[in-house]
Amino acid sequence: MENKDKILIIDDEEVVLESCTEILATSNYQLATAMNGDKGLKLMKDFQPDLIFLDLKMPGISGFEVLEQICAYDPTLVTVVITGYATIHSAVEAMKKGAYDFLPKPFTPEELRLITRRGLEKRRLVLDTIALKKEKEMLREHFATIVSHELKAPLNAVQQNLFALSAELSDKLTDDQNQLMNRMKIRIDDLLKLIHTWLRVFTVDIEKIKENFTKISLKDIITKAIESVQPHATRKDISILTSGKEVQSYIHGDEVTLVEALVNILNNAIKFSRLQSKILVSTETKDDEILISINDSGVGISKEDLPFIFGYYYIGRSSQTSERGSGIGLAITKRIIEAHDGSISVDSELGKGSIFTILLPIVKSKSHNQSTKKSEVYSNSQKGVAK
Amino acid sequence: MSQSKIILIIDDDPDFVDGLKSILKKANYTVDAAYNPKDGFQALQSKRYDLLLLDIMMGRGAEGIMLARKLNKDPKLREIPVLIITGIREQMAFLFPGQAVHPHLLPVDELVEKPVEPKLLLEKVSTLLKTAETRKAQTKK
Ligand SMILES: Nc1ncnc2c1ncn2[C@@H]1O[C@H](COP(=O)(O)OP(=O)(O)OP(=O)(O)O)[C@@H](O)[C@H]1O
Ligand SMILES: [Mg+2]
Repeated sequence: MENKDKILIIDDEEVVLESCTEILATSNYQLATAMNGDKGLKLMKDFQPDLIFLDLKMPGISGFEVLEQICAYDPTLVTVVITGYATIHSAVEAMKKGAYDFLPKPFTPEELRLITRRGLEKRRLVLDTIALKKEKEMLREHFATIVSHELKAPLNAVQQNLFALSAELSDKLTDDQNQLMNRMKIRIDDLLKLIHTWLRVFTVDIEKIKENFTKISLKDIITKAIESVQPHATRKDISILTSGKEVQSYIHGDEVTLVEALVNILNNAIKFSRLQSKILVSTETKDDEILISINDSGVGISKEDLPFIFGYYYIGRSSQTSERGSGIGLAITKRIIEAHDGSISVDSELGKGSIFTILLPIVKSKSHNQSTKKSEVYSNSQKGVAK
Repeated sequence: MSQSKIILIIDDDPDFVDGLKSILKKANYTVDAAYNPKDGFQALQSKRYDLLLLDIMMGRGAEGIMLARKLNKDPKLREIPVLIITGIREQMAFLFPGQAVHPHLLPVDELVEKPVEPKLLLEKVSTLLKTAETRKAQTKK
């Protein structure tokens, strides 16, 4: 058979090697033996065992050193150390260094067989886990492609044709008919957005953004976030005001996702506020942290809902709004903020409004870098935003 | 009026293509379509087009990108202005990590997301046509 389990035994005592070989020969294993550490390590590379028995006390290169090299070579290899009778503590030491188990000398054939079976079982589990992880990773990566083609493509085609039709027919249709057209477009647009959000949750590894952290200006991200929700606010005649002198501060992070985090909170604030109300975005520094708070005077969040709103797919019961979301916004926001070593909290009273507070570690800026210039540009547009 | 401009659409979804076609035709453009990169490339070689609408995700992945790179190597074809249409923004980010969303594959190109509103589509098309003309006039001098 091709796939016999392979066992390597490294021990300086010939008796041990021989008896082990004899005991294990009755089972269907492929065996190899080595008389010292050097030979054992060489054999490990040629023979590619699944399980290694390793004597800790050998002349020449020590058992511990061999163990270290085994783990460095392939951490998925399972090693069982063979120890003298009264040396439990070196066995413990070996297990701390990566050995799976120990076998005290002298041992009975049954003990050897049992520990062999368990060791090989462990090896299979380790390999299975690795395979599963790989598969999961692959699925995640392919998910975007599959979903986009199978779900988004047909919707895109339908929407594109609706666009074309309504442009062609707009002057031939009655107002009511045009209304129907628009409602179809809106529903499909909602569906596309929903798929987008799902894709985002399933395919984006937020930890990965850490690889591209740069120094970014707080002012920039706040301005960009406000700009992006401005149309939404204008529709409800809501004004977004900013306050705080500390906007000159810098953060170590990823601009795109931080803006996204703020946009989520701002969109909620707008969504759950009444017409013509105000939203206040304020910033201040606290020791080594920057504090951003977003304050609305909307419907508020009930005590029962409060502990859950940062979870996935949670939609508050108390918040009745015509704009139904998918309950993902705050969960993503929390993950983004935490990836920046920050934290987010909320304080709210039903009927009065909510305050979301973000804390982020500050980057002490000794000199200004090129992003100072950029933030000048944004400060102009901010005047238009905060009316 | 001068002769109507000729546009080629390369996109593997015929229904989507029809939606675009109808908008462009109504604005007096002449429109051809190819439903895979290979046919598209052949069409570009056999006829002179004023503009190309190129889908990114076709077939087994980002075949639109590969076609754009191929065009960019051809001294004549790279002068055609290209409007890249893509279904998924994050996929673009995935393909070009660390870059802005717009990949700039060719001298004159622009990017729109699917589905695209008629007004935006027509704006992008006419801007691209103008940019390409200006570029041509400059290089002739
Ligand atoms: N500013 C706010 N005022 C009142 N309730 C809020 C506010 N922000 C969040 N909530 C409550 O928390 C819930 C979860 O918010 P979250 O942003 O995660 O989801 P959503 O807005 O419902 O959907 P999505 O953001 O995915 O479109 C909301 O459904 C709402 O009940
Ligand atoms: Mg939300």
